[in-house]
Amino acid sequence: MKLFTSAIAIAASLYGAQAFAWEATEGRPYEGQTVTVLAVTSSQFAAHEARLAEFEEATGIDVIYDYVPFPNMKEALTTEMIAGGDYDIVSVMDQWVSSLEMLMEPIGPEMEALGVDLSDYPAAHMRHGMLNGELIGLPVRGHVQLMFYRKDLFDAANITPPQTWDDMVTAAKAIQDSSDAAGIALPYGKLNGQNLMIWMNLLWGNGGDVFDADGAPIFNSAAGVAATETYISYLAEEIVPAGSAVFVEQDAVTSFKQGNSAMLPVWWWVNSQLTDPEQSTLTAEQVGFTSLPSVPGADRTTFTNTWVFGVTQESDNKDAATEFLSWLSDPALERDLLLDPELSEVVAVRMSNLTDADVNARWGGMHQAAADALATADGMQFGDDWPRVALILETAISSLASGEGTDVQAALDTAAEAIEAIR
Amino acid sequence: MFTFRDEVSAVQDRLLPYWLLIPAFIIVLATTIYPLAYSFITSFRAWDLTESRRPQGFVGFDNYIYAATESAFLNSLWVTFIFVVTSVALTVVLAMALALLLRRKGPMHTFTRIILILPFAMSPALIGVSYRFMFNPEFGVLANGLGAVFPALQGVPWLADPQLAMGILVLTDVWHWTPYMTFMCLGGLASIPKETEEAARIDGASNLRIIFGIILPQMRGVILVMAVLKTIFALKMFDQVVTLTGGGPGTSTETLAYFIFNVGFRWFDMGYASALAWILTVIMMFISIWYVRMLLSDRKMATA
Repeated sequence: MKLFTSAIAIAASLYGAQAFAWEATEGRPYEGQTVTVLAVTSSQFAAHEARLAEFEEATGIDVIYDYVPFPNMKEALTTEMIAGGDYDIVSVMDQWVSSLEMLMEPIGPEMEALGVDLSDYPAAHMRHGMLNGELIGLPVRGHVQLMFYRKDLFDAANITPPQTWDDMVTAAKAIQDSSDAAGIALPYGKLNGQNLMIWMNLLWGNGGDVFDADGAPIFNSAAGVAATETYISYLAEEIVPAGSAVFVEQDAVTSFKQGNSAMLPVWWWVNSQLTDPEQSTLTAEQVGFTSLPSVPGADRTTFTNTWVFGVTQESDNKDAATEFLSWLSDPALERDLLLDPELSEVVAVRMSNLTDADVNARWGGMHQAAADALATADGMQFGDDWPRVALILETAISSLASGEGTDVQAALDTAAEAIEAIR
Repeated sequence: MFTFRDEVSAVQDRLLPYWLLIPAFIIVLATTIYPLAYSFITSFRAWDLTESRRPQGFVGFDNYIYAATESAFLNSLWVTFIFVVTSVALTVVLAMALALLLRRKGPMHTFTRIILILPFAMSPALIGVSYRFMFNPEFGVLANGLGAVFPALQGVPWLADPQLAMGILVLTDVWHWTPYMTFMCLGGLASIPKETEEAARIDGASNLRIIFGIILPQMRGVILVMAVLKTIFALKMFDQVVTLTGGGPGTSTETLAYFIFNVGFRWFDMGYASALAWILTVIMMFISIWYVRMLLSDRKMATA
């Protein structure tokens, strides 16, 4: 037993001493400089901050993190863009990148000089670090959607996880027949375009898209109408919890965590919340996951969400900031977080980590599922008017879900006209 | 005999109040006058924050003309009108009724007056979040409590229905403001001479007659102040919209202040947002001017 304990201790110390691939610029040229980081509140970034000692010791650069909760993050970034000068590094969500064009500096040559391997990023994440053909940010946090489900309820109903959205309806009804839980928790309410995240998969699955190649709205096509009617029909079929018409993502997650819903299609990072005893009634044995269902006859799809880190145009310490970015984007740092037994961090953006055997062994194959989804996911190109487009679209979905509007074609046509007017 | 030193001292005495006012004036200038003037000028310019850090070219009245034809703005104006009328009316009536109940003296009345201020002490944003939870059909205490008492209301998706959502938005605002308005009414009631009421009672007037014939006419000034104050605050309704409904479902609770926020900080169209903000300011200025005129005519009637 003693020998076994010692072996674990040795293995742990070796693991802890694992050297990252990243190497500091020789001669510590930026010693004494301070890099300030404006980051959205997240456990992943807090874990990065906790590992700063290695970077600071190697470079002599002092790094200071400021965290802003997600609902206030865009305002914080806007203020930084207009007033400028407070931060050297900012974290920006994909949908905001274009509209915050004046905030970040192109960093392509610097990253190349520092040896950052861009080919290791999935295209769906990497495209959000590019603006006007130039690299302006590196993906550090990226999400795909997974279908989480209650294994115990599926077993009790003697059914398997759904492969298609039609299967999902059948499964939801079977679950409702054999338990008190609602079939599936979905967001239909308005908040930062959250009610578009699943709808978009139905849209793609039906062969539609939001815009055509020229940027004209086409979501009001026959495919768009079919996708929207399907999404709204889940309310009429009563397979979602009561009040879902105003559910935002967190309401859907809460419904699942409280045991009130049997399925939850949502971002993978939510995984850590679902079985956290401090916020969930569920255990790890009760929760399973699979890829999002597909529209029958179509490929599986996933909406992606990416946070890129970039250097601000107003930064006085751009070289030190790019040095920090090269450390932050090190795949070994990401892997270290994924395998840290003290953390329950699943988020990864490096293909090498998504397909890593050890990572998948720890997380039950979740990352391979994400890698598979990302292999065929294009991601969306968000223009600088996306915040306004998203608001118009999410309002249309919300109106239809609440019964304020009933004619799907008319609602989508009105939204398309409104979007065309601002383009 | 005045010496030169006396002259200087007299001038200094006369100027002293102005010197003392300077710090306050600078603060008001920097925090109110300058932003107002800047936003007024901006309202006549194009300013897309995604394109420029500084205001762009002058566009004349284009922003105002666009507002007059934009359905989203007109909808927010209508939503704000509905919200203001219902919330002001309900708040004033409830506050008056509560004040009439609480104006008597006694330990229970004193205790009630003390706890009555609690809702007003709460942050509007927090009120929105709390009510959102309380009306959640799955785990909301109010939604389930109402369902338990009235089975027909079990499972009603309160915030998912456009009319009910507006009703709950009004409810949160009335709940927040009624205590403060009640205290204003209590202050007004305390200033009414007791003799008039006692004389009416001796003459056999009923309670209702006393309220409508004696108390309310003498409370006219206070009620007017309450209504105007409440109207101005209701016109600026923002916090609860953000945390309770997000302007939805659809656009059914999208107030003008919330719409302006979206235009400015989500769409980055600062020129248009400034024009909308000035439309709101002008509406509030008209209400304030009307209020002052009403108050002055009240005083004239009282002194005539």
